[in-house]
Amino acid sequence: MLVEALHLARGQFAMTAIFHILWPILTISLSAFVLLLETLWTRTSDVAYYRHARFWSKLLVLNFAVGVVSGIPMEFQFGTNWGPFSRFTGGFVGNILGFEGAMAFMLEAGFIGIMMWGWGRVPKGVHLFATGMVAFGSSISAFWIMVANSWMQTPAGIVVENGRVVVTDYFKAIFNPDMIWAVGHMWFAALETGLVVIAGISAYNLLRRRNPEFFVRSFRLALIALVIVAPVQVWLGDSSGVDVFETQPAKGAAIEGHWHTNAPATGASWSLLAWPDQQKQDNDWSLEVPGMLSVLGTHSLHGRVTGLADIPRADQPPMVPLLYYAFRVMAGIGFAFMLLAFWTGFVMKRTRGRLDALLANRKLLLAWVLAIPLPYIAVECGWIVREVGRQPWVVYGLMRTEHAASNIAASAISATMLMFSVFYAVLLTSFFIFARRWLRKGPDLTLMPPVAPVRTTRAAHEPAGY
Amino acid sequence: MNTASQGMLTHAWFVLAGLMLIFYVITDGFDLGVGILSLFQSERSRRDMMIQSIGHVWDANETWLVVVGGVMFGAFPAAYAEIMSSLYVPVMVLIASLIMRGAAIEFRHASHGGRLWDAVFGLGSLLAAGCQGVILGEIVTGLVPGVRETAFVVVTAIGVISGYVLLGATYLVKKTSGQLEASARRSSVTAVIVTALSAIVLSAGTRFASPIGAQRWAQPEVFNVLLALGIVAALAFAYVLYAVRVGSVRGPFRASVVLFLASFAGLAVSLFPDWIPGQLTIADSASSSATLTFMLFGIGMVLPIMVGYNLYQYYLFRGKVVPSQHH
Repeated sequence: MLVEALHLARGQFAMTAIFHILWPILTISLSAFVLLLETLWTRTSDVAYYRHARFWSKLLVLNFAVGVVSGIPMEFQFGTNWGPFSRFTGGFVGNILGFEGAMAFMLEAGFIGIMMWGWGRVPKGVHLFATGMVAFGSSISAFWIMVANSWMQTPAGIVVENGRVVVTDYFKAIFNPDMIWAVGHMWFAALETGLVVIAGISAYNLLRRRNPEFFVRSFRLALIALVIVAPVQVWLGDSSGVDVFETQPAKGAAIEGHWHTNAPATGASWSLLAWPDQQKQDNDWSLEVPGMLSVLGTHSLHGRVTGLADIPRADQPPMVPLLYYAFRVMAGIGFAFMLLAFWTGFVMKRTRGRLDALLANRKLLLAWVLAIPLPYIAVECGWIVREVGRQPWVVYGLMRTEHAASNIAASAISATMLMFSVFYAVLLTSFFIFARRWLRKGPDLTLMPPVAPVRTTRAAHEPAGY
Repeated sequence: MNTASQGMLTHAWFVLAGLMLIFYVITDGFDLGVGILSLFQSERSRRDMMIQSIGHVWDANETWLVVVGGVMFGAFPAAYAEIMSSLYVPVMVLIASLIMRGAAIEFRHASHGGRLWDAVFGLGSLLAAGCQGVILGEIVTGLVPGVRETAFVVVTAIGVISGYVLLGATYLVKKTSGQLEASARRSSVTAVIVTALSAIVLSAGTRFASPIGAQRWAQPEVFNVLLALGIVAALAFAYVLYAVRVGSVRGPFRASVVLFLASFAGLAVSLFPDWIPGQLTIADSASSSATLTFMLFGIGMVLPIMVGYNLYQYYLFRGKVVPSQHH
């Protein structure tokens, strides 16, 4: 295996994963939001909720399509580019990906058609059920993916026999030490993404005074959820951090630019900002808060935090500055959302949620518009921390990444990487063109729900969707 | 580890993986066939009808492939790794073409011009069918390079493309009306003839160009099963022609499905007990009993449910397509 080909294979995986994750995070939250709207409509019979559900569904289906097609390379890349990894871990990771396909993907795919095209063709309750299955499927998918990924971070419940993983305890393997935090942190990241996108798009329309009565409703719903979701996510992030220091000391040290283990009965210093230099095995410069890292990383005053310089060089993750800053950007965005949500909640409470007061507060609305790209940046940074930070291992402590790649010619990987970049550019551009059109068109405020489940004749096949 | 139960589990998963793969081949086969046929329709309104006929089901149909991928990765990791990495280029082109097809079918709804997306949709479908043919041909010839083998692979690609066109055309006979239905009937006849010719050439080719011919086919019990399947396929072929001619609505599609089932069963019987003839056995590539059992609980249990809601979706959107008033 040439070093060049290994780097290319890693590059291709990073590129396809970085592109793919943009879409499911919005699918998870937007489908849950549409489910909420449709439930509210079913409960209250308020037609506004129906129109909201139809409006946001259109963004969902656009987003869903790109998510589906960009997910295909992920499923097959393990086999094409990471053959030795697949042979080694298939007994668990492959098993879990099989579960994901059968339990989650098929559920989403089997009901998205009814959700999009089934209006007037199925009774209200069946439609609500279909929407529920799409939302449920997308969350189940995140669950199984994070089970597989967390096991790669903290493998458990297995033995290695004849050069492959054999599961001895499924409970331990699935509920591996990292699993709860991984699933929770990712699922809340997905929820937060959608809520910020909904709040941001609503704020944009409020700023422009387009259908303000309509958009203030979406804005309010998203905000009520965010006031809870944003702080929970900060807590989950903090707990994931403590888990990292316990299970993967090298990753923890790298994301905090921490080089030297603290002496007993002293606290490790925390660098607020620094430039880590792996050559020197130290920071070039740093702004430090004495004793703080022990508190943050171990939740105790003198907790021992292993320094990166005390870990053999061959077991240190590469690209320490990237890890250090990716972590800071992610955590910073998480805090910013919490503050923004609290501030907005406070403003809305003080003005008793009056529309004119909200419309007058242009700075607040602008802040939400500008926030739209931030959750995506935070999620990508989080994945960089997670995956680059696990290096040089692909399965922590069990298999090194350099032993995991297939023997594929570097030229072949370069060609497919080029092909995927072109495809992704086209997909992204097209998505933005169509999303812009959807945004400009706005909601249909004359739309009426189908009166009763239309008993279709055998010939009727007209879609009610789109 | 009990070897007898491991053997049973391995065979159960071979059957289940085969079952899921045939679900994929038949359902996405007609989607891809419809896509290929759309290349020959110059009128936008007709292409609309064609794509509308698969609009609500193509995504779930394609998902069977993703499920098969996951099942192979879990139940037969060595086979999954070997086949995927040995066939890097056709697998990647297949992925690319499925992206083209999927993106185009969704984006064409959102766009108003449409011509460009329709071309991407059609070409993606053609390329996907061709790549699947190449992958099949490479596996049957044991991943061995050579002139004879390459010729075989070219014919499998033609065979899979024409087979999918047959499924697509007969599906359109079922789902459309008027001139579109009439042209679908004509396409069905051409496609079934090309498919049958390819099948004959491939059977002869397998006898001489594949390790299967010398080993599996020489066993009388295997040969007898294949002979029976060949007769079923021949009857199905004749029935397609007959049903198209007498104006049957559902007959041509049903007979095409039977033709596919017989061919697929023949392939499975021929490959058994190997994934790649003479190189990688099913037993050697299987995961441990623990994994196979757990997967049987997890996936075997939900399989009937998966099939159930897929059927419900077909039931819901049954009958002929009428033009959408939407655009």
